[in-house]
Order: sequence, then C-alpha cells, then structure tokens
Amino acid sequence: MQTLKLLSAFFKMNVQMSLAYRADTVVNILLNLMWLGWELLSLNIIFSNTETLGGWGLGELIALLGVFRLVNTLMIALIWPNTEKFNQSIRDGSMDYTILQPVNSMFLVTFSRITVWRFWDLILAVVLIVVGVNMSTATTTPLQILTFILLAITGMIIIYSLWIVLIALTFWFVKFDNNVTILQALLDAGRYPATVYPVWLRIIVTFIIPIAVATTIPLQALRGELEMTQILTFILVSIVSFFLASRIWRAGLKQYSGASS
Amino acid sequence: MFLIFKRLWQVNWAEQWQYRANLLMYLLYWLVSPIIYLAVWTSIAGVKGEVNGFTANDFVTYYMVLLICDQITSNIIIHTFAYKIQDGSLSGELVKPIHPMLTNALVNNIAFKMLTIMGLIPIWIILFFLFKPDFSGVTLSGVLLSIPAMVLGFVIGYLLSAAITSLAFWTTRVYSIHEFYFAIILLFSGQFVPLPLMPKVIQDIAQFLPFQLFMYYPIQLILGRLSAEQIIQGYIMAGVWLVISILFFNWVWREGVKRFSAVGA
Repeated sequence: MQTLKLLSAFFKMNVQMSLAYRADTVVNILLNLMWLGWELLSLNIIFSNTETLGGWGLGELIALLGVFRLVNTLMIALIWPNTEKFNQSIRDGSMDYTILQPVNSMFLVTFSRITVWRFWDLILAVVLIVVGVNMSTATTTPLQILTFILLAITGMIIIYSLWIVLIALTFWFVKFDNNVTILQALLDAGRYPATVYPVWLRIIVTFIIPIAVATTIPLQALRGELEMTQILTFILVSIVSFFLASRIWRAGLKQYSGASS
Repeated sequence: MFLIFKRLWQVNWAEQWQYRANLLMYLLYWLVSPIIYLAVWTSIAGVKGEVNGFTANDFVTYYMVLLICDQITSNIIIHTFAYKIQDGSLSGELVKPIHPMLTNALVNNIAFKMLTIMGLIPIWIILFFLFKPDFSGVTLSGVLLSIPAMVLGFVIGYLLSAAITSLAFWTTRVYSIHEFYFAIILLFSGQFVPLPLMPKVIQDIAQFLPFQLFMYYPIQLILGRLSAEQIIQGYIMAGVWLVISILFFNWVWREGVKRFSAVGA
C-alpha cells in the first residue's frame, strides 16, 4: 500500500517535471513516430524479399516489435533516468539522503525518476502486439496468450534484476558510470527472433545479457513452441535473479561509505 | 600551421586516450546493429539461396566491410561540440585565430577515430573467424579506388554534421534535429541493407544524395561490385556534394557566429 502511494507520488512529481518541457515532449513523440515508421518500413523491406524469417511471419515480427518496444520503454523511461540520478548520487554523496529514508532503498533508487510521456509508447507497443497476433495465420489459444503475458513479465523482471546488479557494482567501483551501456548496446538484438542469430550471439543475448529472454522467449510461448518445464524454468529463473539482485544490492549498500571518505 | 595541427593532435590524442574504456563501450554499442542485420540477411539468403542476386556470402562481406567504412566516414562532432555553443564555452575558442570546428574539433574527431579503429581491428579479426567470409572478389584497384571515396565521404559527412551542430546557435533542440538526420542516413546510406534491396523510390533518390558515400558506395567499390559507369557517377556526385557541403557549412557557421556574438555570451 505504501509502495503504491509512493509510486503515485513519484508519478505526479514526474508529470510536473515534464510539464515544464511541453514542446520537447511533442518533438519527442514525433521522433518516436518516425522511428516506428522506420521499423515498419524495415520489416516491409525484409518481407518483400522473403516469406518467413527463421520460420516467423510478418505478423509475428510485428508482435515481436511490440514486445521489443516494451523492453525499450523500460530502458528509456525507467532505467536511463534513474541510473543517471544514481550515478550522480554516488559521486556527490547525495545517496546518503536516499538511505536515510524509511523506505526500501532499492525501490527508491529504481523508481524515483519516470519519463512520463513514454507511457504512450506502452500503448503503442500493446497495439503492435494485438495487431501482430491478429495478422499471424497461426491460431493462438487463451493459454498461449496467458503464458505470453506471464513470460513477458518474467523477462522484464530478469532485465530489471540485471540492472540492479549492474548499478550495485557502482558501490564497489565508483568510476563505473558506464554501468548500463552494455544493456543498451545489446538491446537492438531484441528486434528480431534470436533463433536466426549465430550460436555465439544467441548465447550472449540469452544467458549473459538476456535481452532475448524478454523478447524472443515470450513470442515463442505465444507460438506454442515452449514446453511446460521450460516455462516453469523461466519463472523460477526470474524469481531467483530478483532475489539474488536484492542480496547484491544490500551487500553493495554495506560497502557504500559516502563521497567524502 | 603544421605545428598547430601537431600540437592539437597531441592534446586531443591524450584526451581521447584517457577515455579508452568509454571508447570500448561506444565500439560495442555501435557494432551490434550491423552484426544483427548480417545475421538476419544471411539467414534469409541461407534459406532461399539468394536474395535479389545477393548470396549469403555477399551479405557477410558487405557488413564486414561496412564495419570498417562506417568507422572511417562517421563523426561525433554533435556530441563534442553542440554543448559548447549552448553553454557559451565556445567564446574561449572563438578568440583563437583558428577555426574551432575545422581545426581542434576535426583533430579531436580523427583522434577518436584512430582509437576506435585500433579497438576494432582485434574484434574484426574475431568476427572474420566466426563468419568466415570469402573476400575473393576484392581487388587491389577496388581498394585503392575506395580510399578517396571514403575520405570524401568523411569530409562531406563532417561538414554536414558540423552544419547541423551549428544549428545550436539558433535552437536548443539540435539533438532532435540530429536524430532526424540520423534516420535519413539510415534510409539512404545502405546501412540497413545494400541499396538494391531497398524500395525503388529510395534507391532512385539515394543516387543523388551524399549519404551513400558514407557506406554503400565505398563498400561496393572495395568488393568490386560497381560498373565503370557507376564508379564515375558516384565520384561526380561526391564532387558536387563536396562543393554544396562546403558552401552550406560556411553559410550556417558565419550566420551562427554572428548570432552568438549578438547574444553576448
């Protein structure tokens, strides 16, 4: 309950902050539409030269684009602004005030900045997913849709956990302010089904920087390609990684000693 | 003049060397999409045998050469210069008797380029063994012909980016304008896919734009896939765009500096 109250307070604060930059918001939305246009054009170019990409049709790639945009929004609306603030607070010691608050510091650090206008991107992503699923010729059962939603959420949790670990490393290595660049660098790999990548790249985007776990895997669930044991494994992995991440965060906090010492 | 450049080089090299860890991150960031496009198109060509005349190996060699060409012809001036106009720290450079964009910033860009290319070499060799491209189509004359094309591509690209960066004299939204410019490059340079696979309209327009000089044109020169007629046409367009970009940059810069002093920063 307290968490929800805090979230809504953060949200209101961020709305006010972004209202100061109205013209910027309009320009950003236009640019965002431009990139959507480019993404659809590039899919059109691919599918004017082939019928399937690694066995996936146009509809499925549009749905994948939607899921990719969900992860992308997580990255731009939450991960980047909060990381920037966090890195700054480690360097100048303002992290002290965050720790003094009577709330879970991990929650505070990861949710205090939200790029509010990006919410419309979420709507766009859902539209893409719905349109894509309807375009695809394969029939989908309600169970497949359910596992798809479930695995999309577990994928996000895994990426969120990885993010926590990456920024927690800053407690040990203060100068490590490139902490999320590696996530961003491999993000583009989520645009296409990981099954078309060479094995070494597939291993990187599945096990090391698990972008594909949040993009390709949910789509595979939608296509009914995953077995029950696999689905359960992903759910288990997301729970374990979240647990591990919060342990590492706490260990990192113990390491933190302010900026002056 | 030579002495000035020598000293500028020493300063900028030392400055960039300091950030070598950042540089490696940048390199990683920028390597990923060409490798993904490579994977996507070789997968399609692998299934169908060929796409519009391009075999899987044609795609591998195209993107492998693209990694090098892009690194040579691209620049980062928007990131290293626009903020100087916005926060006024350009004043200090304006009183020096040398052009800030065509000396210091240019040398800084080249130093950055040298370091990223040094970082790229080992990665490129690893990729070479992973993808095993067949470069038998490459000829010495093709490589030699591509060198002036890449230099022209870099100069034109640098002048155009410098002109866009100079728009910061007028607007704070210069990064948004640059993002738009970036999308235009993506569309017309052959970065996403070799131009013959793009829609006909885009191909037709691309012929008359400078952006194919950044990637498609030098890549195809190296791979020896252009006819004599196409080579001549490409160089004529490069000459035309060199003149246009020089005039355009000079005009934007001159008007911009006038405004800058009028604000009195």
